[in-house]
Amino acid sequence: MIKTIAKPAEKKVTACGECRSTCQSACKTSCTVGNQSCERITREQNIEKK
Amino acid sequence: MIHVFSYHDKRYIYDTGSGALHECDDATARYLKGEPVEISDEELKETVEAIEGLRREGLLDAPETQARPIKSPEVKALCLHVSHDCNLRCRYCFADEGAYHSVREVMSFETAKAAIDFLLRESGNRKVLEVDFFGGEPLMNFDVVKRTVYYAKEEAAKLGKRFLFTTTTNGLLLDDETVAFLNEEMENVVLSVDGRKEVHDAVRKTVNGKGSFDAVIGKIKQFVKARGDKHYYVRGTFTAKNLDFSKDVLFLADNGFDSISLEPVVTDIPDLQIREEHLPTIEAEYEKLCDEYIRREAEGRGFLFFHFHVDLEGGPCLAKRVSACGAGNEYFSVVPNGDIYPCHQFAGDAAWRMGNVFEGKLDGRLREKFARSCLFTRKKCGDCFAKFICSGGCSANNYHYSGDIDEPYPMTCVMMKKRIECAMHVLAERKARENS
Repeated sequence: MIKTIAKPAEKKVTACGECRSTCQSACKTSCTVGNQSCERITREQNIEKK
Repeated sequence: MIHVFSYHDKRYIYDTGSGALHECDDATARYLKGEPVEISDEELKETVEAIEGLRREGLLDAPETQARPIKSPEVKALCLHVSHDCNLRCRYCFADEGAYHSVREVMSFETAKAAIDFLLRESGNRKVLEVDFFGGEPLMNFDVVKRTVYYAKEEAAKLGKRFLFTTTTNGLLLDDETVAFLNEEMENVVLSVDGRKEVHDAVRKTVNGKGSFDAVIGKIKQFVKARGDKHYYVRGTFTAKNLDFSKDVLFLADNGFDSISLEPVVTDIPDLQIREEHLPTIEAEYEKLCDEYIRREAEGRGFLFFHFHVDLEGGPCLAKRVSACGAGNEYFSVVPNGDIYPCHQFAGDAAWRMGNVFEGKLDGRLREKFARSCLFTRKKCGDCFAKFICSGGCSANNYHYSGDIDEPYPMTCVMMKKRIECAMHVLAERKARENS
């Protein structure tokens, strides 16, 4: 049995550089890119929600 | 590359190439790891077919694309050290209790203004810029924080840009005025509390050597209440003295904080330092926290623990994932005299001084070093499943451990990998609840 839990959304744009600087989030010692979300996807989702 | 791992009775497969996470049964996990499998021929056939199906979909053993790192010359963020002084004397402070191994001083408005001008000038076409007010304790220089925010907003508007501001504070100087300002102007506020009173007070001392918990906890609670739904993090540090740190995270959650981060200390103070022999205890503690985290979420009283959030579906693109943190290239720290460093963790170390905001130019050799640094220059990360999530870790931690920003710090790697596995389990449990 194999069940897919999650797979990345297809990115319409990559390397746009809009994302926040990695070290600006919470911890200032071990912030990682994996803890971030794509700014574009988040923004588009927020627009869809509205 | 695939990473097959267990969490209690659950088996997961994380495919680094596609970024997909799968749950599987024990037989499939064993088969994928090349271990003996005691199942019928029919079951084995089904297992192999399922694996091949995912391979065809590009969700298993997917090739790892050699994405180009994002290395734009545009500067996007500054950490402004508006105060190299602090009203606390935390034993583990990487910043030498606020003084950064130099004199205690605060940043003048002229220097902060020059830093903002530098950022606006060097940001090219970038529209959204970030400034983090940091210390020491930045609220000890509140007037400059305020004036800098107003100046930055005014100048950015002229150029069609905008700023996102963050302040990191120990909470001691929070009052009606500072709370109102921070809640109005800061996109994010990071508040330092270590958890239980006895844990906090053991290391976070006032100038007079007393524990600071009672002086800050009420103020921080009031601040968060007034903040409404705007972003904040209550951020603590754990040391060798509280390896049972899950209790501190839960203590913070029980006190009404729903956005929490707790980080392993970076210090060489013998009684506080995290050592290799602590790692099994720390890994078990992350699991303990993870179990309770899931239980609370299922009961509708969940909270956000920073490291248990890994966005596998909407996360950054691969180019971002291989680019490392951006320190020294798109992100810099500016100390009170205007000197520029790759990030706050390098501040005060003359070998890493990259320029001064009044000179307006950066050390090309050092910037090139950071611009070149990415996941692919971190050779030891090549066969690690976590590489597209951690991007090779913190350059400063790497440097302080090995003398090389590209040499990962093994202790951090162990903790990072455990947190990522926990985060994936959290995600799987959440999906299972949603589907039921």
